[in-house]
Amino acid sequence: MWTLARKLLLHDRLRFAVAIAGVSVSVMLVLVQVGLYFGFMDTASSIIDASSADLWVGKSGSESFEFAAPFDERAYYKVASVPGVKRAERVLINFAQFKLGTGGDLGVQIVGIDHVPGEPPMLAPWNVIAGDPSRLPEAGAIVIDKSEYAKLKIDTVGTQTEISGVHAQVVALTQGIRSFTTSPIVFTDLRSARSYLRGLGDDAVTYVLVKCEPGVSPALVKARINAIPHLSAYTTSEMSQRTRMYWSTRTGVGAGFFTTAVLGIIVGFVVVGQILYSGTLQYLREYGTLKAMGAKNSAVVRVILSQAMISAALGMVIGSVLAVGMKSAMAHANLSVALFPGLYVATLFITIAMCSLASLLSIVKVLRLDPASVFKG
Amino acid sequence: MESALAFSDTLALGAAPQSLARLVGTGKIYGTGETAVAALSDATLDIRAGEVTLIEGPSGSGKTTLISILGLLLKPTSGEVWLEGQNVAGFGERQLPGLRARNFGFVFQGFNLFPALTALENVAMAIQMKDPRAKDPRGEAKRLLELVDLSPRAHHLPADLSGGQKQRVAIARALGGNPPILVGDEPTAALDTKTALSVMELLRELASSHGRAVVVVTHDPRLERFADRVVRVEDGRISSIEGKVS
Repeated sequence: MWTLARKLLLHDRLRFAVAIAGVSVSVMLVLVQVGLYFGFMDTASSIIDASSADLWVGKSGSESFEFAAPFDERAYYKVASVPGVKRAERVLINFAQFKLGTGGDLGVQIVGIDHVPGEPPMLAPWNVIAGDPSRLPEAGAIVIDKSEYAKLKIDTVGTQTEISGVHAQVVALTQGIRSFTTSPIVFTDLRSARSYLRGLGDDAVTYVLVKCEPGVSPALVKARINAIPHLSAYTTSEMSQRTRMYWSTRTGVGAGFFTTAVLGIIVGFVVVGQILYSGTLQYLREYGTLKAMGAKNSAVVRVILSQAMISAALGMVIGSVLAVGMKSAMAHANLSVALFPGLYVATLFITIAMCSLASLLSIVKVLRLDPASVFKG
Repeated sequence: MESALAFSDTLALGAAPQSLARLVGTGKIYGTGETAVAALSDATLDIRAGEVTLIEGPSGSGKTTLISILGLLLKPTSGEVWLEGQNVAGFGERQLPGLRARNFGFVFQGFNLFPALTALENVAMAIQMKDPRAKDPRGEAKRLLELVDLSPRAHHLPADLSGGQKQRVAIARALGGNPPILVGDEPTAALDTKTALSVMELLRELASSHGRAVVVVTHDPRLERFADRVVRVEDGRISSIEGKVS
């Protein structure tokens, strides 16, 4: 069956090329669009995912990670004293004006981290490519991302600047840490962050990160913290999911990417369906002859399905290569396309389903083909 | 070719020609009521091993309906169709493909070969489609192409074959699975005289030496010299059967 299917497809090379192009573009669109979505979502939750905290505690009612309302330090002490909490660290997140290397200002997202002497912080810059992030507790020390050079015009350790008119010095550079809001992320110490964000008050805190005692269930600690008025606790994975859902649903980015992916599937479906159908019409007399001579419908249907599967497999391979190329090209534009094994597997199943469904019209045509028709002219 | 040799052996022993299929009072009416049209009425015909039967008649006379019913491609509205010792006229679509695969090979005016497949692949693929459990379809296809004198062209595409060669491939394909009855629908109509006669010689040889029953619909009276019997169909009825009488 495979030999017949392959030869029938290859006999008209131009038509075959169009079919494969249709499937390949469809696969590429699905991979890139869904990959872009996951890339954006990874970006949206990257700070949360990079933390080693068991729980994130914030002010109740805050929907967005970036725009969470701050609270005062009393809440931090309340959380730290909850039974089962081994360690609690404060985080202050908000926006401030960054003086650019070329003059002018740009809004940046300040991430102020609590540094407890002798303890590695639960949240720290990662993917460090230059400098010394351990200097972050120094007054005015900041860590920025090299990929934000186009915005900040700074890509050198030691560069001095100002944030909200307060001195800042780059002590380390990271690579690939970006925010969903497109504002560059600036890591700094909690005290420095408070000096950059004076308008929030001297003891402002946005989140409290919690490490639970060994053997104590984070769910239990979470329930205890949730009993404190005006505070809500989430496990790190819940916090990550909440942030992803916020950006996905509130901005419509999810619907946008998935609509394009679905359009890609529809294009592939139409192209493959049309090519398979015209191929089936071309060989209708031959299929009829086989049926007349006793070939079962299932045998003829297998030939058509095999053609669909060959188109799916080839389209998957070429589409994947195109998607990897697109990912590389988009990386230059600071766009992250998250291509991972699960996405490839899901796209393969979608492609197989798309090509199988596209062959339905051809299959119905062959099933309805009256073998006696081969005698009629 | 094992069962084909068995047919030959039977003939060589001088036994009476074996009846392979029989139509008894068969009729076909299309439509109902006032719009009903009788395409075939009361047709009785015996198809015998080792014989070439020509079916002649003007266009629209019912020839195609006759061989379609004989080849189990069309259900009669009346009468009986005997095959493998049973009346199969009422058999359903589930049983018919198997009966056709075991008993019939078809040859058409237009060859109906897959243009993307070589001669060998066309024959082997048909063998496999008829019987997915066939042990060596390529080997059988090679033997059949040898039988129709086409071994040297086995690896050629239909586009590289002459009309006569294509029809020989189609005959080899029809012989796949070793069916005892070959049905040809004007198999020589698209061929020049010389080629047409050589194809008929081949069909005659398959009947005489290999014990096949060959049934050929034709408009060409020059083919009558290859026939054991000539069946004339007019206005949906068998008007005469000339030749050997069993």
